[in-house]
Amino acid sequence: MIETSLHQTTGTAATARGLTKTYGRGDAEVHALRGVDVDLPAGRFTAIMGPSGSGKSTLMHCLAGLDQPTAGAVEVAGVALQELDDTALTRFRRDHVGFVFQSFNLLPMLTAGQNILLPLELAGRKVGRDERARFEMVVEVLGLADRTGHLPSQLSGGQQQRVAIARALVAQPAIVFADEPTGNLDSTASAEVLDFLRHSVRELGQTVVMVTHELDAAAYADEVIVIADGRIARQLDQPSRDELVAALQGRGA
Amino acid sequence: MRTVILASMRRHTRRYVAATLAVVIGVTFIIVTNALSSAARDGMVSGLDAPYANADVVVSDLDGDQAASLLDRAEKEGAAASVLGWAWLPVSRDGTEFGDGVDVGALPRDNTMRWQELVDGRFPAVDDEAVVDANAAKGNDVHIGDTLTIGKGRDALDVEVVGTVDSPSAMVWTAVYLTQDAQARWLERSQINSVAWHGQGSVDDQISDLSSAYPDATVQTTDAFVSDQQKVATNGVDVLAIILLLFAAIAIATSVMVIANTFSILFAQRTRDFALLRCVGATRRQVLRSIRVEALLLGIGSSLLGLLAGTGLGVGLVALIRDRAPGARLGEVSFSPVWFAGAFLVGTAVTLVAAWLPTRRATRVSPLAALRPDTGVDARTASGRLRIALGVLMVEAGVLAMAAAIAATAVPVMVVGGLSTFFGVVVVGPVVVPALVRVAGSLAARLIGMPGRLATSNAVRNPRRTAATTASLLVGVTLTTAVLTGLASGRSIIDDEMATDHPLDASVSASTGGALPAGMLSEIRDLPAVEQAVELPGTSASIDHHVGGIRLVAPDADAGELMRSRRDFATPAADEIYLPADAVEDGKVPNKVTVTVGGHTRTLRVAEVDEDWGDVAVIAPSVLADLDRSPTTQAIWIRADLETDAEDFSGDLSAVASASDATVESSLGKWAFVDLQLDVMTGAIVGLLGIAVVIALIGIANTLGLSVLERGRENALLRALGLTRRQLRATLATEAVLLSVVATLLGTALGIGFAWVAVQTMLRSFVADVSMSLPLGQLAVVVLVSALAGLMACVLPARRAVRVTPATGLTME
Ligand SMILES: Nc1ncnc2c1ncn2[C@@H]1O[C@H](COP(=O)(O)OP(=O)(O)O)[C@@H](O)[C@H]1O
Ligand SMILES: [Mg+2]
Repeated sequence: MIETSLHQTTGTAATARGLTKTYGRGDAEVHALRGVDVDLPAGRFTAIMGPSGSGKSTLMHCLAGLDQPTAGAVEVAGVALQELDDTALTRFRRDHVGFVFQSFNLLPMLTAGQNILLPLELAGRKVGRDERARFEMVVEVLGLADRTGHLPSQLSGGQQQRVAIARALVAQPAIVFADEPTGNLDSTASAEVLDFLRHSVRELGQTVVMVTHELDAAAYADEVIVIADGRIARQLDQPSRDELVAALQGRGA
Repeated sequence: MRTVILASMRRHTRRYVAATLAVVIGVTFIIVTNALSSAARDGMVSGLDAPYANADVVVSDLDGDQAASLLDRAEKEGAAASVLGWAWLPVSRDGTEFGDGVDVGALPRDNTMRWQELVDGRFPAVDDEAVVDANAAKGNDVHIGDTLTIGKGRDALDVEVVGTVDSPSAMVWTAVYLTQDAQARWLERSQINSVAWHGQGSVDDQISDLSSAYPDATVQTTDAFVSDQQKVATNGVDVLAIILLLFAAIAIATSVMVIANTFSILFAQRTRDFALLRCVGATRRQVLRSIRVEALLLGIGSSLLGLLAGTGLGVGLVALIRDRAPGARLGEVSFSPVWFAGAFLVGTAVTLVAAWLPTRRATRVSPLAALRPDTGVDARTASGRLRIALGVLMVEAGVLAMAAAIAATAVPVMVVGGLSTFFGVVVVGPVVVPALVRVAGSLAARLIGMPGRLATSNAVRNPRRTAATTASLLVGVTLTTAVLTGLASGRSIIDDEMATDHPLDASVSASTGGALPAGMLSEIRDLPAVEQAVELPGTSASIDHHVGGIRLVAPDADAGELMRSRRDFATPAADEIYLPADAVEDGKVPNKVTVTVGGHTRTLRVAEVDEDWGDVAVIAPSVLADLDRSPTTQAIWIRADLETDAEDFSGDLSAVASASDATVESSLGKWAFVDLQLDVMTGAIVGLLGIAVVIALIGIANTLGLSVLERGRENALLRALGLTRRQLRATLATEAVLLSVVATLLGTALGIGFAWVAVQTMLRSFVADVSMSLPLGQLAVVVLVSALAGLMACVLPARRAVRVTPATGLTME
C-alpha cells in the first residue's frame, strides 16, 4: 500500500477487494485466490509474479472480467465488474481492456492486419481516419508494417506476439493484460516483446499488467506484485533482482 | 492397447453420439420394415381361406359371364356357389358420390357359403338391402339405415344399409355387399377373383366336370387355390418390403457419410494422441487396430441399440396403424431372426466401412508429422488436382450418359448417368461447396456483419470436412427435389389426361318429361365453386334399341367455352348423336338409332358413348330445331374450380337441383381421387426420404458440435476480445445455415436436373410433348425447412459454446 501511494497522482487503473476464487467442490476444492486486495496504478508497467499454480492467471482473469470471482469486488477504469451481466461485461472488455496471451493469440484464418483490427470490428466500430492512423502508428512501432497481409502460420512466434500486442493497443484500452506473453519465446524474441510492452507504457502512456514467472521478464516492470498460494505476498516498486529473488522465496516480508 | 481403447472410448463417448444415432436410425428402419411387412403379410394371408371354408372346388381365371353361368349351373344341379368378385360402380348417398367409385360384391345365395362376419345389424333379407364393410363404413361415415344408390342410369339401384360386416379375406373383400341377385345385373362387367363351389359327388368328379364345362378356367381344390392366393399375397408384401428397404438403403448410405465424417473429424482432432502413442512406441498396426476395434465396438453397440429401438417402434407403429387405420388390414407382427441378423450385420459393417478410410488416413501420418495441424485439401496439390479432374470427368460422363438415355429412352443408362453425375459433384465438393459457401457467406456478412464473416471463414476453413458434411444432406435433398419435381410433372401429365377424358366438370339434367326452371342458372352461377355455367336447350325423346325415354340436348358454341379440353367434346354433326353410357346395354352400342319426339323422327348415327355429360343424349342444334320447335332448358353445364372440395360441391349442386328433381353429374370427385393418390404417394416418398435428411442434419449438428470443441480456444479468444454470447451464437447459427442452405440449393439444382432427365426419359414414350412443371411452393418449403433444420442443428453446439467462460476456454486443450 505504501508503495502505490507514491503514484496516487496518476490514479488507479484497476482495484480488487477481497477477491476469492474457488474451483471445484468437496474433496476436489481448490482455493486459487484467498481474499486478494490489490490496486494497479494507471500508466505503469506492473508485473504479477509467483510460482506455477499460485493463482496468477486466475487473478488476471478475474481482474480482466474473463471469469467471475467466487467473492469480492473488482473495479476497472471506474466500473464495478460484478454489476455487469455477460453482454455488458463483453462490451466493457472490448472497449476498455486489451489482451496478450501466452499462446494461441491469433485467429488462424485471419491475416495479421485483420487480427489487429478484430477488436474494432467486433465492437462494430468504423475504421475511420483516426483508427487508421493509430493502426499505422502501432504497426510501425512494432515493426509489423510489411507483415500485415500474412497469416499467423506464416509468422514467427515473436512476430505473432507482436501482432497480439498491436491488437491489444490499437483500440487504446484503459488497461492491457498480458499472461506470460514471453512464455513460448526464445530470449531474443522475449526481450523484443518486453521492450515493446515497456515502450507502450513509457511512450504511449498505456497501463500494462503482465503475469510472468520469469525474473528476466519482471525486470522490465515498474512495479512487481508477488503472489503465493492465492494471496498477495509482496508489492515492490522497481525491485532489484536480489529483492525479487528474496520475495519469491518468501523471505524478507 | 486395451486400456487405451477403453479410455479413449470413455473420453469420446459424447463425440460418438451422432455416429451412434445414425447407425441406430438405419438399423431401426430395417427392423421396422420387418415389423410392417410381417404384419402386412399376416393381415393379407390370414383369412384368405375363409370364403372357401365350405367349398370343395374353386374355379378361377374366369369372367363375369362365366361366373353368371356357373351360378345358373349351381341352381340346376343343386350345388352351392359363391362368386368372389366385384363391380367398380358409382355409389352415392343423397346425390353425393363416394370417391371415384366403389367396389360392390355379393353375398352368396347359399348361407352355408357365407364368409362375411356380421358386426352390427343383420344380413339383407331382400334385394334392396345391403351390408357394408365395417371399416369402409367407418371411413366414409356410412351408418345402418342409410340409403345408397348403386350404379347409374337404367341399372341404378337404391339399397338400404341393414348391417356392417367384417371381411376376413384381404383378397376378395369389397366395401358393399348386395345379395347375389341384386349384384347379378353388374355381374357381367364384374372383376371375378374366383367362384367357390360345393357340388355333388367327389372332389375329383367335380373338378373334371367343371374343367370340361369351362376349359379356359382354372379348376382347383380349395387347398391348392388358397395356397396359390397366399403366394400372390406374399409376393405383394415382398415388393412393399423391398421398396421400404430401398429407402432404408438411402438412409444407411447417408449414415455412412455421417459416420465417416465423424470419424475423420475425430481422428483429425486426435492426431496428437495417435502421434504421442507412436512416439511412446506403439506400432502403426497397433494404432490402426485400436481404432478399428473402437469402430467395431461402436458398430456393435449401436446396432444392438437399433435392434431394440426397431423392435419397440415396429410393434408400436403396427399397433397404432391397426388402431387408427383398420382398413390397412395389418395382422400380427412376427420378427424374423434372419432380419435381425441382417440388420445387425448391416449396422456393424456400415460403421466399419465408414471408419476404414479415415482410419487409414489418420494412421498414415508419421509420429512427428502428426504433431502438425491438418491443413485440409489444397487444390494446388497433385492429389487435389487429380480429385478435381476425376470429379469433372465423372460429371461429364454422367451428363453424356443421361443425354444418351433421353435419346434412347433407356432408364438403366439414365440411372448410371445420374449416379455418375451425383458422385462427380460429391468428389469436386471440397472445391465447389466452399466456393458456394463463400458466395452465400458474403451475403450473410452484409446482413449481420462480423458474425457472418466469422461463420463464413469457419465454414470454409476445412474444405474436405465442409464438403463431407454437406454431401450427406445433398443426397436427401437431391432425391426429395427430384421426386417432388418428377411427381409434379407426372401430375400435370395426368391432369392433362384427366382434362381430355373429362372435359366437362359437372352437369345438371332435368328429370324425364320436365324442364329446368328459369331461375336455376343464376342460382348455380352463385355457387362459390362455379366458374362458368350455361343452359342447354333440349327436349324429351324416345330412342329405340332399348334406350327408351331420354332427354336430348343441343349444346351451342357457348358450351364449348367451358370444356377443360376438346371444345368439340359435345358438338355432334347434323347426322350424329352422342349417347350416355348408362343408357345403352353393355357392349351393345347400336350403329344407328331412331329418335322420336312427338310426331317427328330422325335416324342418327351413334358417334360417341360417354358418361360425362350426364344422363342425356347430345345432338346438333339444327337437329333439335327440326325435332322440336319450342325446346326447353334440359340441362346446365358447369365449369368449376378444381380446388374446391368435391363432396361439398356436389352437395351444393344437389341442393339446388333437388328442388326440381334434376340429376347432378360431377367429375370433381375423380379429380380429387387422382389428386389424393398423388398426394399420398408424394407424402410417403418424401416422408421416407425425410429419414435420410434427418440423419444428414444430425451430421451437420455433429460437425458443428465437434468443431465447437475443436475451436474452444478460438471462441474463448474471440469472447475475451469482445464477441458477445449473442454474436457467438449468431456465428454458429450462420455457419449451420450456410452449410444446410448451400447443400439444399445445390441439391435442389441437381434434383431438378435429374427430374427433367427422368421425365424426358421415362414419360416421353407415353406422352408426345413432355413439359416440366416445377413445384415452386414445395421446393421453397424444402429450402426453408433445411434452413430451419440447420438452425436447429446449431442449438446444442451453440449452447455448449456460450456456456464456456473465456477464462475456461483459454485454458482448454
Ligand atoms: N478451471 C479450473 N478448475 C480447477 N482448478 C483450477 C482451474 N483453473 C485453475 N485451477 C487451479 O487453481 C490454481 C491456480 O491456477 P492458475 O491461476 O492457473 O495458476 P498460475 O497461473 O499461477 O500457474 C491451481 O492450483 C490450479 O490447479
Ligand atoms: Mg498461468
